[in-house]
Amino acid sequence: MNATTASTDGRQPTDWKTDAMQRRIRARYRAEKRFRFYGLAAVFLSAGFLAFLLFTMVSSGARGFTQVQIALPVDFAASNIVIEPEQLDGNDREQLLALADFQGLAQESMVAAYGDDGQALFSNGAWVQLRNAVSDDPTLLNRSEVIWMPASTEIDFAARGDAGENQSEERLAMMERYQALEEAGQVRSALSWTFLTMGDSSDPTLAGIWGALKGSLFTMLVTLALAFPIGVLAAVYLEEYAPQNRWTDIIEVSINNLAAVPSIIFGLLGLAIFLNTFHLPRSAAIVGGLTLALMTMPVIVIAGRNAIKSVPPSIRDAALGVGASPVQVLTHHVLPLSLPGILTGTIIGMSRALGETAPLLLIGMRAFVPSPPDGLTDPATVLPVQIFLWSDELNPGFVEKTSAAIIVLLVFLLVMNGLAIWLRNKYEQRW
Amino acid sequence: MNDATDTQAAPEAKPATDEPLVDPASLKMTARNVDVYYGDKQAIDDVSIDIGMDNVTAFIGPSGCGKSTFLRTLNRMNDTIPIARTSGQIELDGEDIYDPDMDVVQLRARVGMVFQKPNPFPKSIYENVAYGPRIHGLAGSKSELDQIVEKSLIRAGLFEEVKDRLDDSGTALSGGQQQRLCIARAIAVDPEVILMDEPCSALDPIATAKIEELIHELRGKYAIVIVTHNMQQAARVSQRTAFFHLGNLVEYGETSELFTNPHQERTKDYITGRYG
Ligand SMILES: Nc1ncnc2c1ncn2[C@@H]1O[C@H](COP(=O)(O)OP(=O)(O)OP(=O)(O)O)[C@@H](O)[C@H]1O
Ligand SMILES: [Mg+2]
Repeated sequence: MNATTASTDGRQPTDWKTDAMQRRIRARYRAEKRFRFYGLAAVFLSAGFLAFLLFTMVSSGARGFTQVQIALPVDFAASNIVIEPEQLDGNDREQLLALADFQGLAQESMVAAYGDDGQALFSNGAWVQLRNAVSDDPTLLNRSEVIWMPASTEIDFAARGDAGENQSEERLAMMERYQALEEAGQVRSALSWTFLTMGDSSDPTLAGIWGALKGSLFTMLVTLALAFPIGVLAAVYLEEYAPQNRWTDIIEVSINNLAAVPSIIFGLLGLAIFLNTFHLPRSAAIVGGLTLALMTMPVIVIAGRNAIKSVPPSIRDAALGVGASPVQVLTHHVLPLSLPGILTGTIIGMSRALGETAPLLLIGMRAFVPSPPDGLTDPATVLPVQIFLWSDELNPGFVEKTSAAIIVLLVFLLVMNGLAIWLRNKYEQRW
Repeated sequence: MNDATDTQAAPEAKPATDEPLVDPASLKMTARNVDVYYGDKQAIDDVSIDIGMDNVTAFIGPSGCGKSTFLRTLNRMNDTIPIARTSGQIELDGEDIYDPDMDVVQLRARVGMVFQKPNPFPKSIYENVAYGPRIHGLAGSKSELDQIVEKSLIRAGLFEEVKDRLDDSGTALSGGQQQRLCIARAIAVDPEVILMDEPCSALDPIATAKIEELIHELRGKYAIVIVTHNMQQAARVSQRTAFFHLGNLVEYGETSELFTNPHQERTKDYITGRYG
């Protein structure tokens, strides 16, 4: 039929060898190559950005994990601390340690070792190290021992070879002081757990990320515990049970819009509802988690609905056909099959929530919180807010702390996403 | 009820007159004055039919005439389509299946279905077959379940091909194997009626032959209703044939009679290939 119609409607057989045709073919190949090149270039560009970001963060943040320390000989035995090591085995250990004048002992030792201005070499809170050392090893009290103590910010700068912009007298003097210490082997730069184990502090040498990390962890737990089940249930209801009418349309449009609402507005909402109406504690992880859950839920609902929708109807028919009840169809087939999609949405939502700063500022999570939170209602801050606060500090010692905090945040993000991806793969393999 | 008395030996089935086509003793399902609407559109118009236990019933008719729709009313799968409305009376062993007291889940276990497109669960072959017995608690122990799975696969003619890889995914089988897996899944719950909607439409002649053979073997144990576009297939596997056209049941009779000596003009036109 084709051959006859082709000749009867006056068309010539196509000549695939003409120049125009060849040109078209070459152009097509070129277009294909060009397209592949663009794609590759895009991949390289984004990989390059990522590498650049990681490089700058790691190179400037690595120092945040170290601490300049100065050797301080301390004679505990001769001090006016009259606790016997055995006493520290008792119940009143904490009290005894708290009452003992370690601060005075530190001052005396500093003056004895480094002269009248010896204290200027050390961080303000350095004396706490003495108490910790005694707490770890009570027999110290009968001895004299060299303790490595955190150096002051000025020495820290000197160690970096940074004399400050205006090369002030004091700065230059500090540089000399540092060099003398270095020659005597009395100063070192050591990896310190301070940054990872301490809360915030106004002294950059003592500031740590643990408080913010714990705050983020609590906040994320609250967010996940609320947003995931509610989001999934809402998606299931809307997709499987809701009648198709104007109300479901309105709800659908609202949820889609909610996902696009700027986060700061969720902060205002959290402030109005959780703080002003329900009088939950300010600055607490629970309020942060609730607020971020409001924000994360629509993302999970949308991803969940798409995932549920993409389960082929033939699978539902198959299950119904052997006599599965609607709930069994849902829990045995539809949800497991859509779980990868739901988890992808959850990763996206949670990652966004983890990096969120603005709404948390509004509910008071920007307060200075020196001690890490112990529960959901304790005052807390979170990693991005901590980064924001530190980057705002005038003291230049916080610069590397900021970078180090960013590294911690990125690692947190990687761990969280890695966990979700692992879960997703695990579920995909089950089929 | 399973002892199939051969009604083909019954007196010459004349057109739907007083002589009942299906022997009342082997009557499994009856439909009376069934109408189905999709929204405002009528897809089935006043269909009445008897389905016997002892043989295979084929539904034929041009595309869009309502064969699938009617088949799906028999186990209430149409309930899953929100705009579908069914009226009339359909009975299974004298029980009205549209009665509000009827448990749909149990009904579908008793009236199993094999779909036009093979639709195994994306699970292992074993899990596919074990799923039905498991949710209905038909097996008391793991070994009992193993037995049900094995027996169903043997009956579906698939066991020899898959016995060494029961843990492989059911979706990794060929189309014909998948369809037999779906049949095994349907018979694993031990239904009384099996509805098959064009089970061979996606299969090659060899796989089709296997399934037809299978239908032969299952005949008598289950009441089987099969929708097919292939009139040779209807002639080969069925003992009774119903011809649908535009939502009406035009003619229902012994397969041999209907194909050699149709009583209705429309049936004749269809089977002689005048349209469809
Ligand atoms: N879900 C549905 N919604 C609306 N109309 C439908 C739906 N399913 C079927 N119909 C309509 O009902 C009529 C009968 O459809 P049905 O699927 O029963 O035909 P069929 O005889 O099985 O055709 P085929 O042989 O092509 O499978 C058709 O006109 C079809 O358009
Ligand atoms: Mg059909």
